[in-house]
Amino acid sequence: MPDVHTRSLGELRRLDAAAFGGKSANLGELLSLGLHVPTGFAVAASAFRTFVDGTGLDGTIAAAMARAASGDVEDGAAASKAIGEAMRFAPLPDDVRDELAARHDELVRAHGGEPPPVAVRSSAIGEDGEESTFAGQQESFLWLRGLEQVCDAVRDCWASLYTPRAIGYRAARGAGGEEPAMGVTVQEMVDAEVSGVLFTCNPVSGDPSMVAIDASWGLGTAVVGGELTPDAYLVSKVTGEVARRTVHTKHVEYVPAPSGRGTIRRAVPEGRRDEPCLDEEALAALVRVARRIEDHFGSPQDVEWALARERAAPDVVHVLQARPVTTLPERKPALSGSALSLVLSTFGAPPGTSDRA
Amino acid sequence: MAAPSQTSSAFPSPYEVGTPPGCEGWQEMYPYHTLFHEARREADENRFWFWNSMHFPVPMPAFDVHCADSPYQAIGVWQNRVFAVPPAMGIDYRILNGYVYISGNPVTDPEKIAERAEYFQRRAGYYYEHWDELYARFKEKMQALIAEITELPVPDLPEYEPDEVAFEDDRNTAVYGVLDAYQRTLRCADLMWQHHFEFLLLGYGAYMTFSEFCKSQLPDIPDQHVAQMIAGIDVLLFKPSAELRKLAKLAIDMGVDGAFVEGRSPAEIDAELSRSEAGQHWLEELEKVKDPWFNMATGDGLYHFYRSWYDDPSIAYASLVGHVRALHDGEEVERPLDEIARERDRLAEEYGKLIDEGSRGTFDELLALSRTVFPYVEEHKFFCDYWFLTRWFNKLREFGALLAEHGFLEDGEDIFQLARHEVAQALDELVLTWATGGVPLGPAHWPPIVARRKELLERLGEWTPPPAVGATPEAITDPAVIMLWGVTTQRVQDWASAEHGGGRLTGAAASPGVVEGVARVVIDVEEIARVRDGDILVCPITSPAWAPIFSNVRAVVTDIGGVMSHAAIVCREYGLPAVVGTGRATAEIATGQMIRVDGSNGVVTILDS
Repeated sequence: MPDVHTRSLGELRRLDAAAFGGKSANLGELLSLGLHVPTGFAVAASAFRTFVDGTGLDGTIAAAMARAASGDVEDGAAASKAIGEAMRFAPLPDDVRDELAARHDELVRAHGGEPPPVAVRSSAIGEDGEESTFAGQQESFLWLRGLEQVCDAVRDCWASLYTPRAIGYRAARGAGGEEPAMGVTVQEMVDAEVSGVLFTCNPVSGDPSMVAIDASWGLGTAVVGGELTPDAYLVSKVTGEVARRTVHTKHVEYVPAPSGRGTIRRAVPEGRRDEPCLDEEALAALVRVARRIEDHFGSPQDVEWALARERAAPDVVHVLQARPVTTLPERKPALSGSALSLVLSTFGAPPGTSDRA
Repeated sequence: MAAPSQTSSAFPSPYEVGTPPGCEGWQEMYPYHTLFHEARREADENRFWFWNSMHFPVPMPAFDVHCADSPYQAIGVWQNRVFAVPPAMGIDYRILNGYVYISGNPVTDPEKIAERAEYFQRRAGYYYEHWDELYARFKEKMQALIAEITELPVPDLPEYEPDEVAFEDDRNTAVYGVLDAYQRTLRCADLMWQHHFEFLLLGYGAYMTFSEFCKSQLPDIPDQHVAQMIAGIDVLLFKPSAELRKLAKLAIDMGVDGAFVEGRSPAEIDAELSRSEAGQHWLEELEKVKDPWFNMATGDGLYHFYRSWYDDPSIAYASLVGHVRALHDGEEVERPLDEIARERDRLAEEYGKLIDEGSRGTFDELLALSRTVFPYVEEHKFFCDYWFLTRWFNKLREFGALLAEHGFLEDGEDIFQLARHEVAQALDELVLTWATGGVPLGPAHWPPIVARRKELLERLGEWTPPPAVGATPEAITDPAVIMLWGVTTQRVQDWASAEHGGGRLTGAAASPGVVEGVARVVIDVEEIARVRDGDILVCPITSPAWAPIFSNVRAVVTDIGGVMSHAAIVCREYGLPAVVGTGRATAEIATGQMIRVDGSNGVVTILDS
């Protein structure tokens, strides 16, 4: 198996993030924990560099970016269009394509010769979450089948480095920024009956003893796209009790297209819209997974997950990705002073006098 | 603090709450100072008064007002004059249509608060530092006081005084004896209430600090987890119940369990048991646990009609019947002590780990302090409210019997229809006319008063008091009100905005879990026997004395109380969902309705209207 530009997800560990991006590296870690993580492979940033250098795209990009350097919005849009089109028409270099084909074949073989549906997502390089958001490194292409679709989606991910927003962002930061780079994750799809996001803490209050879970029907697209408000659960990490349960009306869901390729948006039947998507058993399983992941990474994590329509066991949670929570409210400063002085202040002893006790 | 004008309050003015039909003149039952009097209308109308349904769920018999006067004297003096709790003096009370409403007296002047803080820190600090020895002394003092009230002789009034009175120096006449015994009886209760409030606030305060500390570090931690980390494992209050479970097992082992048939009275069960040798042996075993464990009361002990289990064993026997049946059904009736202890330690450890390292030491210290004070918080009720008060009321029954014997009352029990100073008056006249040989007026004077008051109490009992009257407060800051009654700013707002008949009540999430079932509204302990297996108990407040029937109910809902109230504590022990402090569950829910109790979120829903 050639492994210059690609690696099976299970082989990756945290340190591989520099070459393969955080998403792929984290999936490798999650697989090492024995969690149910859909299998797949990672494409390194080197594949992108090889693609750009080997197809003469570097010249096209440089020229377009020079025009966009002014920061003018229209110039940026024009540059984005030019680069995107050039990328989509450029053939993948043979070595990159051969590796993708070999990796894809592995997946096909594991599926009895049928190409399984996969998701192709960008895997951002570097720690700067804000930059990766602006740089469009959040692309996701769902329910693709066959090598051609995978290759196209990989190129689309790369092209997302040059969305108008990304170009504008880089122009605003001025020249001399690092060359953009991006890894790509190719991962089998889960036919999700329910999917969502969980935080291994309460992101609103910052309480580390809670797991906050958002959930809606079908694939996660509707929630990510802000099309609906998901059900929200707050569950005690310590006892598994549900501290808060807010069920919303979930009128749409994304499901695999009947053709087997791509996804469709469809209305959720009336009776099911207001049903909670998670029962106690599912919540318990999600909390177990949350604790495993947080313990492993040693800090609060933001986890994408899915419950398959056909489950091997009712409590199998598929983990689609995990990343550190970066936007936690500041915790209240540690309360200091003796226990006694705190007790006295409970009785309304004015601050500052209680330590004289 | 400027109170909002009366018109803006969500609660009625106490001066505009009408008298229920047929209850005109109810005021004459109570001391002048307990009434919403015109002379202090402006002040009283602009204060927030809430119905203390936790201690006084039904209209006050005239004598039982002592159980308001004396404790409010005691809580006032300890909070205000001894510990000088900086922002709060004592708690005032008023009686409205027979029901007790209370309101705290705040301290608002910052200089005064600072001055009080000096006293408070020195004195409260001393108590916390010496808690264990002071608490041990409390138990000794209480046992001595219980012995004193039990043994206090109430002389009878013979035709002739005995020879000793004539021949011995240190003997007194029955005139002096009766008057002195009555005064000593009252003073014993005053002393008991002083002991009671010596520790109570400090105990709750330590707990509340731990709770607030946890919430500052773990904003979403459920109240019940905080309570579970502290809860006593083997506290005295659970002993009576534990002894009954053992006795139920014993009955089965001895083959006498056939006597425990649902619907049988304790006397019928005893009668069957005494017919067999094994049954007699079981009754002997029962006798052994009665002292002290049957000194539980059938309800929170602030009314004369809450008897001890000695005098009214119906709760104990109902619980035995339930335990025997549960054991036959193969259920475990023992409290899983090891499991409770393990869970308590697991919670403390897990939450401890989630606290920032810098605060972890404080967490451990506060947890330790809370666990130190907790036995008092749970156990004082057994000593004070149950053991002492049931003995005290029985002592008063001796005076009642004396008055009845001489025709002042038709029945000894009627003594509780007289205020304590009226009893003193009646005794004065009784010993006077006994001494002089004159004709007493009492037999003509008291019985009609008693009859009218019984009628009043019955009618007032049919009236539903509003949860609060007077001004709506901006905030509740009185530590005692928050700690002891669970009345917080949030709770008051809930009461104020409550839509009556909306089918949904909110309260404190006191014990987790969700169940649906048939409501059984129990206002009075005498209705306890009607509780059926699987009912949801809806009551003003439960007392630990009701604990035995908790093995028969599925969930508990109360009008008043916080997560530290006894209903909450017992429910957590029994793993029953509980919502406490709903303000009006007994008024909104009817027996027989299907309700859902969500003890995790503090919501009660009436499913059929």
